[in-house]
Amino acid sequence: MGAFEVLAQPEMAWMYARALIAGACIVAACALLSVLVVLKRLAFVGQGISHAAFGGVGLAMLIGALAPALRISGVEFAVLLLFCVATALGIARATRSGDGGEGNSMHEDTAIGVFLVGSMAAGALLVQLSRSIAESRGVALAGRSWESILFGSILATGWLEVALGGAVLAVIVGVLTLVRRPLLFWAMDEGSAQAFGVPTPHVRAVLMVLLALVVVTATKLAGVVLATALLVLPGAAALRLTRRLAPVLVTSILIGLIGLVGGLALSLVTNWQPGPSVVLVLTALLGGASLWGR
Amino acid sequence: MNRATTNPSIEAGVGAGNELTRDNGTDAPAVHLHAVTYTYAGSEAPALEDVTLDVHPRERLGILGPNGGGKSTLLKLVLGLLEPQRGEIRVFGLAPAQARAAGYIGYVPQRARIEQAFPLSVREAVTLGASWRLSPLRRVPRDRRLIVDRVLRLVGAADYAHRPIGELSGGQAQRAMIARALAARPRLLVLDEPTVGIDAAGQHKFAELLATVHREMGVTILVVSHDLRAIVAGCDRVACLSRRLHSHTAPNGLTPQVLAELFSHDVAGVLGGVHVHAHAADDCGSCGPAHSVVVVEKGRSERGRV
Repeated sequence: MGAFEVLAQPEMAWMYARALIAGACIVAACALLSVLVVLKRLAFVGQGISHAAFGGVGLAMLIGALAPALRISGVEFAVLLLFCVATALGIARATRSGDGGEGNSMHEDTAIGVFLVGSMAAGALLVQLSRSIAESRGVALAGRSWESILFGSILATGWLEVALGGAVLAVIVGVLTLVRRPLLFWAMDEGSAQAFGVPTPHVRAVLMVLLALVVVTATKLAGVVLATALLVLPGAAALRLTRRLAPVLVTSILIGLIGLVGGLALSLVTNWQPGPSVVLVLTALLGGASLWGR
Repeated sequence: MNRATTNPSIEAGVGAGNELTRDNGTDAPAVHLHAVTYTYAGSEAPALEDVTLDVHPRERLGILGPNGGGKSTLLKLVLGLLEPQRGEIRVFGLAPAQARAAGYIGYVPQRARIEQAFPLSVREAVTLGASWRLSPLRRVPRDRRLIVDRVLRLVGAADYAHRPIGELSGGQAQRAMIARALAARPRLLVLDEPTVGIDAAGQHKFAELLATVHREMGVTILVVSHDLRAIVAGCDRVACLSRRLHSHTAPNGLTPQVLAELFSHDVAGVLGGVHVHAHAADDCGSCGPAHSVVVVEKGRSERGRV
């Protein structure tokens, strides 16, 4: 069946429309943060948080197996969010880089490595446990497949998830607007920011929570493995094209949206998975921006 | 020493006694340390021991000492980033953290590590120094934007104010960082190793810049450095610090014996078996007659006017 024939069916058209709207919200939120992620070299932090989402998925499945009434998208989102926020704050607390403090703080990559593998292991065991519990109780566990956990399932987006995507984008825009000045100061020069009185641990914690929020929503689009791509590629491409703040943010969002539309189109035409297709298009856009920016 | 500026933009842009100057509003010392001791966790020896020191308002004090002598620790204590285990610190009569929160302290880092791609211009970065405390819903007021323009001219950064902050040379970045600190109109300007990586000509320009800033803004200046030239050229008084405060004196009171004692461990550690001694001024053609010269010898020499 060709792409046009697929879209000619109302059900399929609505499915792609929902995926496009939710994806646009997710990609825009990620693109805004990705500028900071690239400038502050937080890509590995994003990777740690996104893999922590795997533990959250396992926990949500366990809750679903134990209490089938709670097996709804909103509960899964809340569990994932809490899990990722806890991981993000844990990484921030364990590292406390640049705040002049002493004590038992560890290197950032070590802390992320610990949280990443710990959460992945916990997630794998929780998924296995919830499946065996569901089997012993004779409950049909409508949990996500391994494939959708790892690589996303944007086409399975419902209207609730569209609303969640819109809400997340609104929160990201609102919080970034409110904290933009201390956040920019911290991002530009963390060591000096603290000496100027910028509450750097709080600023860092706020950014970590925002990262957790977008990662949770981005796992729906790209899965835990590829969610980080949305937090890196748009910003990295935009920073190769301009060095002014407002144009960088706008360019980053545009690149993200082009990647989303291009990726979904590619997926429709080739029947490839949408998440990896979006990431591939974004990677190509970064390559193009690198050539253009030379 | 000639402290007159040669930068025409400074003379054109800023007059004495203007809105850049912030009233100190108190007779308290700019910085007061009494019997301060600080020991890092896990270390037996204190990094600073029983240090007592006053910096007077509008004074320029240099803290000179070898690497590992406690200069950075002292700086962190004054900035309120560390708490002393013993003793008391006040900045304009307030606890350092309070003074920092009140915007009394401007800080110029040794070398700001700003990403090359950071998407802010020099002017925007300096404006951030003056405006980061503003309510998020407020635009930067016109008077603050004017202050930003003035400090950019004062430090000689107006010509490249439009350039991305991450693309500046070392000297340009240093001026931008000084402008960023001054834009918040601090009462105390703290500079951490300001001449690291700057050549002799750049150091001379830096001394001129510091003199201009002091003259135009009346700000108290605290310079922390292991570089003799940076301290001597731009300060009214010098405190010699090597874990304990060895002395504080006017720059011309820095005798070779004082420096030899202060740096003996540092120099011996780096070069091994060197000695520090004095020559009369006549021995060095590059120094004025009022100066003596300290020479550190072993293959290469480093000269500082004292």
